[in-house]
Amino acid sequence: MSKKSLSIVVMSLLVIPFIISTASAKTLKIGSMSPLTGPYASDGTDIKNGVLTAIEVFEQQEGPIPGYDKIELFPQDTVCDPRQAVAAANKLINLEVVGVIGAYCSSSTIPASETLNEAKIVMITPASTNEQVTDRGLPYMFRMCGRDDDQAPAAARFIKESLNAKTIFIIDDKTTYSQGLADGVSKNAKAIGLNVVNHDHVNQGDKDFSAVLTKVKAANPDILYMSLQGYSPAALMTIQAKRMGITSQIVTQDAVFQPKYMEVAKDTSEGVYLTYGFTDPTTPEYKAFEAKYVPKYGKIAAYATYAYDSTIALLKAIKAAGSTDADKIKAELMKLDFKGASKHVKFKENGDSGSSYIAFKVEKGEFVPYWDPATGLIKK
Amino acid sequence: MIQEFKKIWKQYAITMLWLLGILWPLLGIHPDGTLSFRQTFTVWSYILAGTFICFIFYIINKSDNFKLLTEPIANTSQKLNNSLQSMPSWIWKSALLFGAVIYPIATGRYATDVAINVLLYVSLGLGLYVVVGLAGMLDLGHIAFYGVGAYTYAILNVKYGMGFWVCFPFAGLSACIAGCIVGYPTLKMRGDYLAIVTLGFGEIVRIILNNWMSLTNGPNGILGVKSIGILRPVMENGFTFEMFWVTKLELFYYFALGLAILTIIAVTRLGSSRIGRAWESIREDETAAELMGVNTFYYKLLAYAMGAIFAGFAGALFAARMRFVSPESFTFLESVMLLCMVVLGGMNSIPGIILGVIALIALPEVFRGLESYRMLVFGSTMVIMMLFRPSGLIAAKRKKMMETKQPEERG
Amino acid sequence: MDSFIQQLINGITLGGIYALIALGYTMVYGVIQLINFAHGEFFATGGYVGVICLSFFTGLGYMETHPIFCLTASFALAMMYCAYLAIGVEKIAYKPLRKESRLAALLSALGVSIFLSNGLMLTQGVYDKAYPSELFQNGFNVGIITISYLQILIVCLTAVLLVALNLLVFKTKIGMAMRATAQDKTMSALVAIGSNRIISLTFAIGAGLAAAAGIMVGLYYGSVRYDMGFLPGIKAFSAAVLGGIGNITGAMLGGLIIGMVEIFGAGYISGEYKDVFAFIILIGVLYFKPTGIMGENIDDTRV
Repeated sequence: MSKKSLSIVVMSLLVIPFIISTASAKTLKIGSMSPLTGPYASDGTDIKNGVLTAIEVFEQQEGPIPGYDKIELFPQDTVCDPRQAVAAANKLINLEVVGVIGAYCSSSTIPASETLNEAKIVMITPASTNEQVTDRGLPYMFRMCGRDDDQAPAAARFIKESLNAKTIFIIDDKTTYSQGLADGVSKNAKAIGLNVVNHDHVNQGDKDFSAVLTKVKAANPDILYMSLQGYSPAALMTIQAKRMGITSQIVTQDAVFQPKYMEVAKDTSEGVYLTYGFTDPTTPEYKAFEAKYVPKYGKIAAYATYAYDSTIALLKAIKAAGSTDADKIKAELMKLDFKGASKHVKFKENGDSGSSYIAFKVEKGEFVPYWDPATGLIKK
Repeated sequence: MIQEFKKIWKQYAITMLWLLGILWPLLGIHPDGTLSFRQTFTVWSYILAGTFICFIFYIINKSDNFKLLTEPIANTSQKLNNSLQSMPSWIWKSALLFGAVIYPIATGRYATDVAINVLLYVSLGLGLYVVVGLAGMLDLGHIAFYGVGAYTYAILNVKYGMGFWVCFPFAGLSACIAGCIVGYPTLKMRGDYLAIVTLGFGEIVRIILNNWMSLTNGPNGILGVKSIGILRPVMENGFTFEMFWVTKLELFYYFALGLAILTIIAVTRLGSSRIGRAWESIREDETAAELMGVNTFYYKLLAYAMGAIFAGFAGALFAARMRFVSPESFTFLESVMLLCMVVLGGMNSIPGIILGVIALIALPEVFRGLESYRMLVFGSTMVIMMLFRPSGLIAAKRKKMMETKQPEERG
Repeated sequence: MDSFIQQLINGITLGGIYALIALGYTMVYGVIQLINFAHGEFFATGGYVGVICLSFFTGLGYMETHPIFCLTASFALAMMYCAYLAIGVEKIAYKPLRKESRLAALLSALGVSIFLSNGLMLTQGVYDKAYPSELFQNGFNVGIITISYLQILIVCLTAVLLVALNLLVFKTKIGMAMRATAQDKTMSALVAIGSNRIISLTFAIGAGLAAAAGIMVGLYYGSVRYDMGFLPGIKAFSAAVLGGIGNITGAMLGGLIIGMVEIFGAGYISGEYKDVFAFIILIGVLYFKPTGIMGENIDDTRV
């Protein structure tokens, strides 16, 4: 029987950390939510690194925020699981953070944002592109990245206007992000007179795409549109497609904007197109980010830049508001108008910050800007 | 004393050397064709230092040098236990209940959130306990019933505008039907074959939830699920009722608590009833049970149905609480974790399962501060827990009585 | 018709990969009746050690001059490493639980699995690792059907290992000892079979097979990832059960069936439901033959 009570003692010791919440003044607390373990750990880590870099750069450039000695980040792991995401959100509320950067998966962002909005905490997502993230009308929800319904028309136009394609085969991997985008591309492509030969699906976590690629080979479309969550399945599919002798041009999307893609897919990635928000790597803002990020964490990936800009925007707003009140921060966020590393940041009424999707092409292991929908010009 | 521990020290040294051998190829061989040792040794020495401290504590504890410290604790706990046992059970039960009731007031939001998860998983775990613990059928797909319950409520609520209390029985019912569908073809199978078939069913349900766009909205999940609504009397214009949505976490906690208590009572009663004994006889020896006139077909199906009903109820509550459902909550890993909660707690005791649920839901939260190391620590904690308490945190009483001949317990 | 043959080849390759993993699964199960959840992680570890070795050789410049030697050495090193890892894991996490309920060992195995995959993530990074060479990536065309050398290698390796394992288990003394240990540990101890040694050996062989599969998969798909062991682990487990768990030929057969069903399901019916077809076949087979295709009648094993 004593063992039973012993284990009860152990368990109650486990519960104690929840009851005691430490609070120390003078540090400005912000939180980040992203998958640090599980299948999307790579993107989640990029986000965390982006936020950390932003804090470093901000403290260096703008100095400390009045009333605080330093800024502290509390990175939370969501594992891309809605339940853990809500737990993480509540944890951050308990820690009394002022703002939150995250989350990665739209299915985590949506329930977590409901919780954070109830507690009146500003949330800026650097990666969730689903329309529903901002379309629910939550007052403290902001988005730094683009929207699926902006990217899809850009991709469809690119396929028609620049690549002069007629037939297109779409593959998605049944996640909120990839399927939403694939549906959007399919709809837009049909609207502008492209022939969608087939829209097929694979499953999340698959490694073998030979069955669906055999179908692609038989259909022989002009374009193979891969809508996959993350660079990793995209690299696998590119390798397998080229090995199978598929000659269709491959077009993909912003989740693949990660230098590791070329590292894995090597030569087969040459000539792959992808749509991604236009980022000018020559601006001083980008250079400042690059100078701090690259030595520590390696090459810059898609979401790190957005996470960086989200954090800078949040910190600027907090500084301008001079308070931790969510309404004041929101008001300042709406007033923001600055050049970030990824783009010119200006939030709209619904919390979106607009998107400027252009097409990139993989050339010699680099992402090179290729086509801009605004001008229609091919950049070299 | 030194002699006694020589063997343990030797084992420890071998383990550490083994670990060094494991670590070096992963950390010391570089793609540019160079070999390095420094990083490996740094990591290894950290691990060495950490485990050494733990090991020293373990040795001191083993050699009873902590008696000064542990004895008073053990004594008091023994006394506490004795007094608890001499007390009528309603006193400590109500004390426990009181603690549970004031918990959200005494603690913060995050703690309440974790507690709600724990309570929902208590219902789920007890449902699984009926299948695994009582009837002895290994089930690796139990989370599917949770998913069915959650989706039933979400769909009925969003598409047909039905309220929580109307949908609640339906959630249980549809989960029960799913349970019977799973249960029927598996009745002939035993052991690991049963495990793989339930795993298959769990995955099938998840894949269907992920792909049936018109009904479940696929991977996007269902948004805008209403929370629990209760009619609140309003005194202003005469006596009318007003719909009141339970959105506050603290209030929601009480609903979860209610469901958990309901499940605990129901499962306890079931376990000690005629049905429960029939299940146990099937668990111990199916052939013998059949010979004794137990209708194994019926009772096995019933076990699935009962287990699924509790999971369905918990699922409905989960949907109401998240106000959003998506297939990501109902993965295979979740099923396995649920099974772990039941096994870890001690397969055949209800308090044990509650403890197991607390351990496995709370541990990843406790380790949150470790960031990306947290699952690593969690995995090793699971192994260590199992090594020290292989028959679960609280082993079953009835089982103990039967196995008095067995040598003393490990750990 | 062409695409049918192409799909057939795809199916055999995927089935071969599943069979390779399932062989190790079924061997371990056959001897100690443990569902070794960590087997998928041994597979992933093998893939990682393979990429580490191959990159190392490439870095030294041996890869161009002696490709076959480098490949063989990488295979050998990865298999040895995983065997070494598995023996240690067995000693630490499974052996003390051998007398306890089987679920305790199952839980411990799951803990090991989580630990290993996160350990890989922390030591090797969260990003995919690319295999350094395009060795065997090429193939030849027959009509419009493409067959890569690696596909042939995978199928051959699976077949060779199947024969070798069957010989080992049924024709050698060690195999006899394995079978004896599987049937009754106490009895086999009485006739001077060191069951601990046999179990260690079984784990070593099983993990070695998993490592070989890991490198094959890494070479075939071009990259490895820390969580790559989880899904194939489940599929291979299903394959092993489908064939009759504990039966080596059954595991092979099960792997091939699951692979085929997946490919043909995805190719001709629907890509998103392919796993459903695999599981329905599994359930269907087990419904009519509750011990798997080649499984013998087992005793009343319960949890």
